[in-house]
Amino acid sequence: MSRFPLIAFAFLCTVAALNAVEISKSLIRIEATSQEPNYKTPWSPGDVSSGVGAGFIVDGKRIMTNAHVVSNARFLTISKEGDPNPYLAKVLHIAHDCDLALLSVENPAFFKSTSPLEFGGIPEIESVVSAYGYPLGGTRLSVTRGIVSRIDFQPYSHSGMDSHLAIQIDAAINPGNSGGPVMQNGKVVGVAFQGYSGDVAQNVGYMIPTPVIQRFLKDVKDGHYDRYVDLALTYRNLFNPASRRALGLEDETTGVQVCSVYSGGAADGFVKPGDVILKIDGHTVSSDGTIPLENEAVPLDEVVERKFKGEKVQLDILREGKPMALTVPLNEPWPFKLQSNLYDEKPRFVVAGGLVFQPVDQNFMEAHDPSDQRLNYIFDYFVADELHTYRPEIVVLSNILPDPVNAYAEEFRYSVVDEVNGHRIRNIEDIATAFEERTDFYIIKFAGGGRPIVLERKAIEEARPRIRDRYAVTTEKNLEK
Amino acid sequence: MKSIHLLRAAWLALILLLAIQSAPAEDDSSAPESASQSLLRVNSTNQVYEFFQPWIKKPPFSRRGIGTLIDGGRILVTAELVANSTFIELEKPATAEKSTTTVERIDYDCNLAVLRPADPAFLSGMKPLALNGPLKVGDQATILQLEPNGDIAQTLGRITSISVGSYPSESGALLLFKLGAPLQQRDGSFTLPAIRDGRLIGMVMRYDARNQSADIVPTAVIRHFLAELDSPTYQGFARLGMAFAPLRDPQLRRYIGLKEPGGIYVSDLTQRGSADTAGIKKGDVILAVDGLPLDQDGNYEDPDYGRILFSHLTNTIKHPGAVIPLKILRNDQTLEIPVTMKVANEDQAISETHLSDEAPKYVILGGLVFIELSRPYLKEWGSKWASSAPQRLVYYDAFQNELPADRGRIIILSQVLPTPDTVGYEDLENIVVTKVNGQPIKSLTDLSEAAKKPVDGFQKIEFEEDPKFLFLDAASIQSNADNLKKHYALPSLERL
Repeated sequence: MSRFPLIAFAFLCTVAALNAVEISKSLIRIEATSQEPNYKTPWSPGDVSSGVGAGFIVDGKRIMTNAHVVSNARFLTISKEGDPNPYLAKVLHIAHDCDLALLSVENPAFFKSTSPLEFGGIPEIESVVSAYGYPLGGTRLSVTRGIVSRIDFQPYSHSGMDSHLAIQIDAAINPGNSGGPVMQNGKVVGVAFQGYSGDVAQNVGYMIPTPVIQRFLKDVKDGHYDRYVDLALTYRNLFNPASRRALGLEDETTGVQVCSVYSGGAADGFVKPGDVILKIDGHTVSSDGTIPLENEAVPLDEVVERKFKGEKVQLDILREGKPMALTVPLNEPWPFKLQSNLYDEKPRFVVAGGLVFQPVDQNFMEAHDPSDQRLNYIFDYFVADELHTYRPEIVVLSNILPDPVNAYAEEFRYSVVDEVNGHRIRNIEDIATAFEERTDFYIIKFAGGGRPIVLERKAIEEARPRIRDRYAVTTEKNLEK
Repeated sequence: MKSIHLLRAAWLALILLLAIQSAPAEDDSSAPESASQSLLRVNSTNQVYEFFQPWIKKPPFSRRGIGTLIDGGRILVTAELVANSTFIELEKPATAEKSTTTVERIDYDCNLAVLRPADPAFLSGMKPLALNGPLKVGDQATILQLEPNGDIAQTLGRITSISVGSYPSESGALLLFKLGAPLQQRDGSFTLPAIRDGRLIGMVMRYDARNQSADIVPTAVIRHFLAELDSPTYQGFARLGMAFAPLRDPQLRRYIGLKEPGGIYVSDLTQRGSADTAGIKKGDVILAVDGLPLDQDGNYEDPDYGRILFSHLTNTIKHPGAVIPLKILRNDQTLEIPVTMKVANEDQAISETHLSDEAPKYVILGGLVFIELSRPYLKEWGSKWASSAPQRLVYYDAFQNELPADRGRIIILSQVLPTPDTVGYEDLENIVVTKVNGQPIKSLTDLSEAAKKPVDGFQKIEFEEDPKFLFLDAASIQSNADNLKKHYALPSLERL
C-alpha cells in the first residue's frame, strides 16, 4: 500500500490540465425555469423560479445532468463553452430516485464541434479527481480538484428516501456544480450532486458513481425509466452470539437476520421474518450485511440495486436452521413511495362545500407540517405497520375555505377521512366519486370515530359559486398526477 | 440600565402596595387577622424518578407554599406542592416554629392533599378556616401570601370566570375559578389560600403572571374531596368516561333528526368507564343529565353557578356510586339510561397519564431495560414531547381508547445497557414488546414471569417493530447478573 503521493499528484495534474481543454467541448451550462406546485392551494399552478446547473454530453446526442437541476422544469435552455447562444432543451428521461436526468436538444446544430464523454469505473480511494461546473451561477467553466475520500452507501437527498452508492470527494462542490462531470484520466467517474452546507461539514462533496449512472442509462434503453427494484425487506446485523446460535448459525458462518418483509413487495411470499440471509447471488454476506464487490465491502442491497425490473435475485438462506435456496423475482418497484419527495407531479385534491381533501405524501407534509398526532403516526408508520393494507392512500381534510356551509368543520382539519356516505375512502378518487352521488346529506366520517361532518347537498350547491369566487378556486378537483 | 430597573421595581411595588392598602376599603370583611391564625408555611422537598433510568431519582428540589388549617386538624394544600415529597416541614409564619408532617391523603385528580403534623400540639392556638359558599363572576376575593416576617400580604381580585377546566393531572376537568389579581412573586407562592369574608373560597394552584390570572380550586371541589375523606373508603372523583362534541351545526342536527334544542354528541367512550358500562354508545345524543336539560354545548342550569358544563354535576356534585339517569336520543328514539358513576381505574389504563408518587416499574434483563409506557415517560422528551417522542408511543398514549380492551400495559424496551450479552443490540430503544418466550406480555410482571421460563436455553423477546425479535443466552445473563448490577450501580434488576 505504499504510495508516492507527490509523483502521482504531478502526473495527474498534467492529465487534468489536458482535460480542461478537452472537456470544454462536452460541458454544458443549464438554465432551468421551474414551477413548484403549492400543496396548500393545490389548484394554483405554483411559484416560478429559476436556477443554474451543469451537464455534459454523452453518447447519442444526449445531455446528462442531475434530476434536481431539471425537476418541475417548465422551460430549459442550455449553452456550451465558447458559444453564448442559448439552445432549447427538453427532458428526455428523469430518475428522481437516483437524481439523474437526460436531456435532448431540438436544434441538431448544437452538437457541432462537441464530443461526448466516456465513462470510467470506480476511482480508487485517495486518487485525484477534478470536478467541472458553474458553481454559484457563473457563466464560465470552473474546475476544482480533490481526492476520493470514501466510497459508501449514502442517502440521496433529492428523493430523501433512496440510498445508493455514492463517492465522497474533497473537491469543492457548490450549488451550480450539480450535474457536472467529475473526471479522472479523461473519463467521467461521477456526477457531482450533493454536499453539506458549510456549517455542517467542510470539504465533503458527493458524486454519483458510474455503477449508478450505467444502471440509469441501461434502464432507459427501452425508452422508459422503470425505477429501482427493491426486495422490500429489512434486515439486521447478526453479531450477537445468542441470536446466532438460536438461529442455527455455525461459528464461522456469517449472515444477517431478516426483520420485516413488507406485504406486496418483491420478497413477500418468498422470504420470511427470521430467515438468515447467507448469500446473495453467490456473494457471502458478512454479519454486518456487507458483501465484497469490486474490492469494496458494500451493503448487500448493491446486488439488487444493479438489477432491473423483471430480473431475479438468488438468496441462500437459513430457515429454522435448514439451508434453503430462493429465487426472488423483482417484478415491480415498491409502490408506497409517499415518504419520498415527489417532483413533476401535480397535487391531487377535491374541493366540496369549501372542504379541501388531499392525499398525504411527503410534499403535502412539508407544505402543511400538521401537528395532528393521528396523522403523524399514520404517515410515519404507513409502511412499517402496513397501514396501506387498510388505506392505500391517506386522504385528509386538509383545509377549510370558510363559508356558512362549513362553519362547524374547523376542528376536523388534518383528520383522516374514513368514509363518505358509508363508502370506505381508499384514495382521493373515492372522495370525488362519493361527492358525485346524488343524496340529500353527505356524511363524512373520520378515523377515530368522532362526530361526522354533515353537509346538505342543497347547501353545498348554494355555496359553490360563492366559494369558487371568493377563494379563487380555479378548479374544484384534480385527480391526475 | 441598572437604575432604570430599580426604578421600575420600585414603581411596581408601589402599585402593589396601593392595591393592598385599598383592599380593606373595597372588601369590607376580608379579616386577614383571623386568617393569619390558620396559615402555615409548608416547605416540601420533592424528588421524582428519572424515567429513562427508573432506578434513580432526579436531584431533589423544594417547593414552598401556604397550607390552610381546616376542621379536623388537617392542613389543606395542593397535591402538586407535596407530589413525590421526601420531606415536608410546617412552619408557623410569625415564630418560625417548625414541625414535620406527613401526607394524610393526596389526590392528583383534584390537585388537593391534606397534611397532619407529627405532633398534634403544634396546632394549638391556631384556628381552622371555614369554607365559603358558592361565588359568582365579578365577586371579589383576596389571595393571601406571607411576608418573610410572617405578616400577611393580601392581593384583592375579582372572579373573572367560573367554568369546568383542566387540572394538572390531565385526567379530566373539574370546576375552576379564575381570579384576576396582580399577584406579586414571593417566596412560596406555589399554593395560596384565597378568602372572602374571612372564609376560604379556594386554593390558588397556578398563576399566569402575564395575564395576571390565578387558577383556583374552588370550595365545591374541596368539599367533595373532604367528604370523600370522611367516608369509610376514599374513592375520589367519578367520571362518565366519555368525550363529546357540541351540537351547534344545524346541518348535523337536521341529519340526526334533533327537534328540541340542546343536546351533545357522544364522540368517544373510555372502555369499561361509567358510560360504557351503562350502555351509552358512540353517536348517542345526550339530551339531559339527572333530569336537567343540556344545551348544545353541554351546559345545564346549576343553582349555584348558572350555566355550567354537565361534568360539574356528574364529577363533583355527585359522588362515586351515585346513579345518574341520562336522557339520550338514539336512532330517533328517546331512552333513559341510568349510569352508575365510577372512578377512572388507572390499573386498566394502557398508558398511565396521572402524576403519581409510585416508583416507576422496570425489569432489566441481561442489560435490556424494560419499562411501562406512561405519560410521565413521554414527558421526559421535554416540553415538545408530543412531536419529539417516538410517534408510535405518542399515538398509543393519545389513542389508547381505540386499542383492544384486553391490550394491557404497553411494555417498551426503553434502552440497552451494553453488556457482553447484548452485543449487536446497543442501538435498540423504545420498541414495543409483544412476547417473551412465546408468552404474550401485558405487564412487566408478565415479562418477569415469562423470563423465568427460557426456551432451549434462550430468552426470546419479540417486538412490534424491527428487529421483530432477538435472543439472549439465558444461562449467561443469569451468571452475569451480579456483574451487570455492579457495573452500572443498579440497586436491583427489577422493581415491580
